[in-house]
Amino acid sequence: MIEKYSILSPDFERDAPRELMLLSIISQSFFQPFSLEDNLLVILTALTSGSGVGFNRAMLFLKQGDRLRGEMWLGPRSAEEAGLIWEVLSTPGIGYVEIVEHNRALVSKNEDTLSARLKGLVYAADDENALIPAYAACRKEILLVSQASTEPLVDRRFLNVIGVEQFVCIPLLARDDVVGEIILDNAITRTPITPADIKLAGICGLMAGNYIYSATLHRKLLDVEKMAAMGEMAMFVTHQLRNPIVAIGGFTEQLLKPDVPEEKRARNLTIIRDEIRRLEDIIYQMGHFLKVSLKEPVYFEPGPVIAGVLESPEIQTKARGYGLGIKLEPCLPEILCDPTSFGEVLRNLLDNAFDATSAGGTVSVRGYRKSPAAFVLSVRDTGRGLTNPDKENLFRPFFTTKEKGMGLGLPFIKRVMDTCGGKIEVQSRVGKGALFKLIFLCRERELTP
Amino acid sequence: MKKKILIVEDERTLGLLYEEELSKEGYDITAVTDAEAALAKLAEQSFDLIVTDIRMPGKNGIELITQIMGLRKDIPIIINSAYQSYKEDFMTWAADAYVVKSSSLDELKSKIKQLLGD
Repeated sequence: MIEKYSILSPDFERDAPRELMLLSIISQSFFQPFSLEDNLLVILTALTSGSGVGFNRAMLFLKQGDRLRGEMWLGPRSAEEAGLIWEVLSTPGIGYVEIVEHNRALVSKNEDTLSARLKGLVYAADDENALIPAYAACRKEILLVSQASTEPLVDRRFLNVIGVEQFVCIPLLARDDVVGEIILDNAITRTPITPADIKLAGICGLMAGNYIYSATLHRKLLDVEKMAAMGEMAMFVTHQLRNPIVAIGGFTEQLLKPDVPEEKRARNLTIIRDEIRRLEDIIYQMGHFLKVSLKEPVYFEPGPVIAGVLESPEIQTKARGYGLGIKLEPCLPEILCDPTSFGEVLRNLLDNAFDATSAGGTVSVRGYRKSPAAFVLSVRDTGRGLTNPDKENLFRPFFTTKEKGMGLGLPFIKRVMDTCGGKIEVQSRVGKGALFKLIFLCRERELTP
Repeated sequence: MKKKILIVEDERTLGLLYEEELSKEGYDITAVTDAEAALAKLAEQSFDLIVTDIRMPGKNGIELITQIMGLRKDIPIIINSAYQSYKEDFMTWAADAYVVKSSSLDELKSKIKQLLGD
């Protein structure tokens, strides 16, 4: 007999020992399609979840260059709020995604209070005489501070912000380097911090440190990839822009000569106008592709966005002369993506499908659940299909099989799918059409009472 | 007899521009939009000079030059490309000149004159 278990559990077992749950939440951070900030907030939540055990509040400092900067804090502001938050976090079935949503709401509420003051705290990250909290990071030691107001090593500005007598400082280390520091306290319950809590927080600190380290490395790697793509882009743009500019210049030059026949004048002006439109289109597409950051993914119901794209005048015009089949399963789940990007992704796929298919062919869109947590949106065409080398290069910026294409549509789709933790699958053979499957994380739609 | 020039340029408007401007200089111009069409033209008639783009759909300009080399070694070839950065390499591709595309065709015209000994 074989039993299968998922590596990442969508929700956390409330009955599991607290230590196990904490470690499970933190280790899942490595695999989540959310920003570093969101994932760090979940780690802070893990350290502060539950009444009675654990800590009430967590503050995070991150190392940037040679400075340690206050970044964010998480926790209730009062005993009443604490009751409410801890209740939410103890709800059965709550998972990583729900915690992220909960945190975003909480952080936006706290924006003007402690967060702003925390962000004002900046310390040297490598200072022998550093005061607490930086002391812990500089010396790479966990510190439990009690009766803080009588302790000369505690920075007074920090004490004013945190406003408690007892707290613990956990340096975040990765490869023997400091990447930040977490400060935990029990400001609400005033429960004394126990050695067992400190030990557990220390382990979480090690994992969080490694997470920050690998996330930062990953970001650097993406920058390098982006630089390489930029080089390729510079070459491509030169070519794309120079051709219409040469045509515009050349035909204008002809117009400047005396005695140009009316017919030629009109022809040249038409060419010039068309080339200028082409330039505008190139600039629009470049700007679209270069949009530095995509919005954070959220759960939403894709039905209305899909309908909006399919009914849009552009797609309706393109679809003239083709069969356009649509089959969506009833009661679509909520999928994880930025809704605007999702619409653009579908529009791009449809554009490609129509461009690859000669009139009379068929383009079909399907939406269905592959598993309880995976929704597939597929676009199939009966067009010319893709060669194997084409398939390998599909997602490379500026690679195109179209005569007038920029080669930016599929790289954009890939960026969107990477940002929301989704996947793309392509099946195609020459002469046999192509099938693009986008696989999104999904969940059952919330029923409004 | 007018000297015959073959232009290989995938952008139709640029091909048209070259055709008109170079005809005014007294040349007999044939413009095609890809390497295959160029090879077909070369098979049916002779030319005194070839001007080719590099980046084109299908076979690129470098592949075209290599194939022409195998056919008739004596035709001067000018590479006319939007890329400044390829300029250092044109000798290795066995081209005779490299002209970066520009809205002024003066450089292209003077290179043609020079290579044809006009």
